Amino acid sequence: MYPTKLNKIIHLFETLPEDERRETIVSYAENAKKQEPRKDEQFDLVDVRKDEECMDTVGVYLHVDENGKAQIRMTLGPEVQTLTRAMTAILCKGLEGCTPQEILDLPSDFVTRIVGAELVRIRSQTIYYVLTRIKGICSRPTQSKRMRSARCGALRARRPRYPAETTSGVKFCLFRLFSPAQDAAE
Amino acid sequence: MATNPTQYAHPEALVETDWLEKHLKDEGIRIVESNEDVLLYDTGHIPGAVHIDWRADLQDQVIRDYITPEKFAELCSKNGITPDTTCIFYGDKANWWACYALWAFRLFGHEKVKVLNGGRDKWKAEGRPMTKERSTYPRANYSVPKKRFDKEIRAFADEALAQSKAKKPLIDVRSPGEFKGEVTHMPEYPQEGVLRGGHIPGAKSMPWKTATNEDNTFKSAPELAKIYFDQCGVKAGTDTVVYCRIGERSSHTWFVLTYLLGLDNVRNYDGSWTEWGNKVGAPIEKGA
Repeated sequence: MYPTKLNKIIHLFETLPEDERRETIVSYAENAKKQEPRKDEQFDLVDVRKDEECMDTVGVYLHVDENGKAQIRMTLGPEVQTLTRAMTAILCKGLEGCTPQEILDLPSDFVTRIVGAELVRIRSQTIYYVLTRIKGICSRPTQSKRMRSARCGALRARRPRYPAETTSGVKFCLFRLFSPAQDAAE
Repeated sequence: MATNPTQYAHPEALVETDWLEKHLKDEGIRIVESNEDVLLYDTGHIPGAVHIDWRADLQDQVIRDYITPEKFAELCSKNGITPDTTCIFYGDKANWWACYALWAFRLFGHEKVKVLNGGRDKWKAEGRPMTKERSTYPRANYSVPKKRFDKEIRAFADEALAQSKAKKPLIDVRSPGEFKGEVTHMPEYPQEGVLRGGHIPGAKSMPWKTATNEDNTFKSAPELAKIYFDQCGVKAGTDTVVYCRIGERSSHTWFVLTYLLGLDNVRNYDGSWTEWGNKVGAPIEKGA
């Protein structure tokens, strides 16, 4: 039902008592930085949002390889909450090798099995945030003609890719990503 | 209370990071961390600090209200706090939740309260010590408070309405977008659902952050006086009600008005916009 890697993580959390579960969540959170884009990696879609009110920036970077497998990288602003950091590390690892469609089809019920009832109760929305953002970027390839082509490799040949470390590239991507009119025109 | 103060009315209500680092092991104090990020304490905290969660520890888990005096006494006892303990609150988000926890402690009549100026972020930015070791203290015996000071420092919806009708100072400390009714919650935050946007008629918009400097410390007394006395029309001797969305940001403003400007008749309407914006028949104004 769940991707193998994600299933292993779910199983690990389900076997932990509450205090160890929290420790493991914090440990994942501390490793979230490892999911940032690496030097020279390139992406098909980049979705970086900075929300004025909460001072948090969360960037989601999607690369779909020749076999249609997705690679997700994420960047998190300094104010991003610990639980969100943990879910970032868990999901980037757990969804490695899935196709965008598999990610879109993933039911969200596993999240509660990872974080436990108490955190679900007090942070019911936060825990789904990262999954929602990842699904959001994965929905783009299936929604736009442009990215359907990209998945086959056709568009990559004629369209510049977006180096993760290039700020201007990210801005350009953002414009593309949030421009429905442009998508429709394409 | 001076209308043109040169210093805080209660400077003793603040401690600076430098002072706290030198007094971590003082008898008679308890450092209390309270955050929006419920796991932040587990990632590291000020040595000796205990964690009090605003939702799990201070709020009733069934009814939308605070815990009973009995539960408050138990919470303090298990953290080694007595009525004589000076609780020094600090936390993330420029001390929103620290001020909220402090306000809740005051609801139960705990008087010895202080805030770490600049909060967790300033402490961390200055490279001061942090630990992951969970702090434990011998159990104390906190006697059950005889009453909750709801009447003195807390406003309910009907009182906020009366404040509005009487045209007395009513300060909305949410963001301008929330005040105008353009949004009903902060983006990406846990959603406390609200059906209507806008503000309580007659409320003045003064976002909580106006009271802070870049490093999350509080602005000086003359600056605060200008903001709240001159711009918000707050006066000594007149009831003032502050509100936000769930009462945490307004706790920050309540602390500023009560402790830094010395007003003694400020109440926090903790039902705030999540109550008002859902309340059938509640009058609402939109726009600036």
